[in-house]
Amino acid sequence: MNIYQPHLARVEELVEETPDTRTLRLTFKDPRVAEQFTFKAGQFAEYSVFGAGECTFCIASPPTRRDYVECSFKTVGKVTTALRGVNVGDTIGLRGPYGNWFPLDQMSGKNVVFIAGGIGLAPVRCVIWNVLDEREKYKDVTIIYGARSVSDLVYKRELEQWAGRSDVKLWQTVDPGGETPEWKGEIGFVPTIVEKAAPSAKDTFAVVCGPPIMIKFTLPVLQKLGFPDENIYTTLENRMKCGLGKCGRCNIGPVYVCKDGPVFTAAQLKALPAEY
Amino acid sequence: MSETYLTTSNLLGLAGDLLTAGTQVIAPAQDAEPLVGPPQSGPRVAYRVIRKPEEMALEAGMPANSLKEFFLPSTEPLLKWRYQKNDVELKEVETTFQPRVVLGARPCDSAALEILDRVMGWDYRDELWFGRREATTVVNLACPGEDDLCFCTTVGSGPDSVRGADMLLVPSGDGYFVEVLTPKGEALVTAHRERFSQVEKGRAEAEQFRKEAKAKVDRNLNASPERIAGWLAGHFEHPFWDKLALQCHGCGACAAVCPTCHCFDIVDEPEGVLGGTRRRNWDTCQTSKFTVHASGHNPRTNQNVRFRQRIMHKFFIYPERFEQVLCTGCGRCARVCPGGMDLLDVLAELEELAGTEATPSKGAA
Repeated sequence: MNIYQPHLARVEELVEETPDTRTLRLTFKDPRVAEQFTFKAGQFAEYSVFGAGECTFCIASPPTRRDYVECSFKTVGKVTTALRGVNVGDTIGLRGPYGNWFPLDQMSGKNVVFIAGGIGLAPVRCVIWNVLDEREKYKDVTIIYGARSVSDLVYKRELEQWAGRSDVKLWQTVDPGGETPEWKGEIGFVPTIVEKAAPSAKDTFAVVCGPPIMIKFTLPVLQKLGFPDENIYTTLENRMKCGLGKCGRCNIGPVYVCKDGPVFTAAQLKALPAEY
Repeated sequence: MSETYLTTSNLLGLAGDLLTAGTQVIAPAQDAEPLVGPPQSGPRVAYRVIRKPEEMALEAGMPANSLKEFFLPSTEPLLKWRYQKNDVELKEVETTFQPRVVLGARPCDSAALEILDRVMGWDYRDELWFGRREATTVVNLACPGEDDLCFCTTVGSGPDSVRGADMLLVPSGDGYFVEVLTPKGEALVTAHRERFSQVEKGRAEAEQFRKEAKAKVDRNLNASPERIAGWLAGHFEHPFWDKLALQCHGCGACAAVCPTCHCFDIVDEPEGVLGGTRRRNWDTCQTSKFTVHASGHNPRTNQNVRFRQRIMHKFFIYPERFEQVLCTGCGRCARVCPGGMDLLDVLAELEELAGTEATPSKGAA
């Protein structure tokens, strides 16, 4: 099989997360592929709707659950619009996994703070479930998640599950004005809530994903809390086509995001030219 | 590996033998005057698949295209799909190719093949590229170095470079001094033994040709890619970039004619309602669409930064990653640019900056 040839996958389930965001659960049609497909938390794949093209997202389900892979996406462009149109039972294409991953080996035995905004919870969710599925390996787990409004929160059922666990500290927030009368979580931007939650930086890794503006204002808060840049991880989502380090689209300075990323530390980001 | 001699008539004969045997032959050939459109200023020479040996125009000047399109076509299928109710049937593309020979490749064009082997082969192997590479025997013809926009000697090649070649012909007397370089080159000589002379001759004349050609090219540009790469590493932000692309239209002609520009797009082309072809098409970092996100965000906002990417990729990113400059000094980008952008000028300016500003100011590490 040549490197551009996707595997075929069946849409098993779909969840409408928000009015414009959807999660697909996929299984490989070829049982041998299903058997052999492994990945690590943070890696991405190229998803195909034949006729519309290919599109890049992280794998949103954890590698600890091997019966399926999931992706979550917002309807924005051509392929995500086509993905919006697929139904349970339909066939799409998937090739991957590509790129690097979060260093769960290093995080083992340490505290982990997950900070996400909007659809940025998708790559973080993969790591969260990976950690929770092997909960005994990690110390304190804190999740800080925010969206513009209550209706923009993704993975609502899972947020309930995490809220109900005694071994997870969950902070949920919506931007001011995005709350409903029933909203019991925080009201405020994610960086403000991180400051309020004030997770200890001692023996702690932070995983931060969300819109650039959220990341920009969250990093200084983490620094103030004492997190070294080397312990703060995030992902970059440049436009990609091949995912294989060939097509030249995702260069930032000397970095190929598809090969050297998508996972970077804050220290690595600071060394990159601001072209992302 | 070994040396021999090939007369001009035997080179024609060799092309004829190959064509008779059904081997595809790619060679510089002269195009007829177009039936429509304005008259051309001179004969247009381009590499193409020839049907008769007489079509070859080995000494008619620089081919307008590079050899790239024969290894990475401007558009090529990656797969075909067909919907059947909920199911999809995929058809893979062939990755093995019929044997073929390039006769009279410019050393700057064969060098590009060797350079691109790196990116096509690191980690994930591009079988479409390597399938064509393996099927192709490349016979270089040493270049007289008569074009003042060439600078192969600056970027690690030369008018008689053998990078990416299986055999080298150097003009000498009424024929060519032949250097056989690889097993594929040996196989070509062995299969056409009667065309090649049994004794080596013409070495001294060939040496003279090489020396003169090199001296001519050397005059065109005086720059050091290593020094330039060192400067680029520390100067992602610099006033130099801010005025650079004022002349640039962002048309991407430079990338199309470049033997080493290899960026591509992957596009689905429906054919009817149920089926279609996924294709890989040439693309270029010179267009704004190249990096625009679905959200509308574009990390490269103007032509200056897009032109910076072109320079950075060729003279800093690629050497950093693959230890070779992503440029063979063919000069085609300068020849075709409608805005008069001249890579030789850019490199000369960078060389000067690198000489005067040895220490990095700010930007990328």
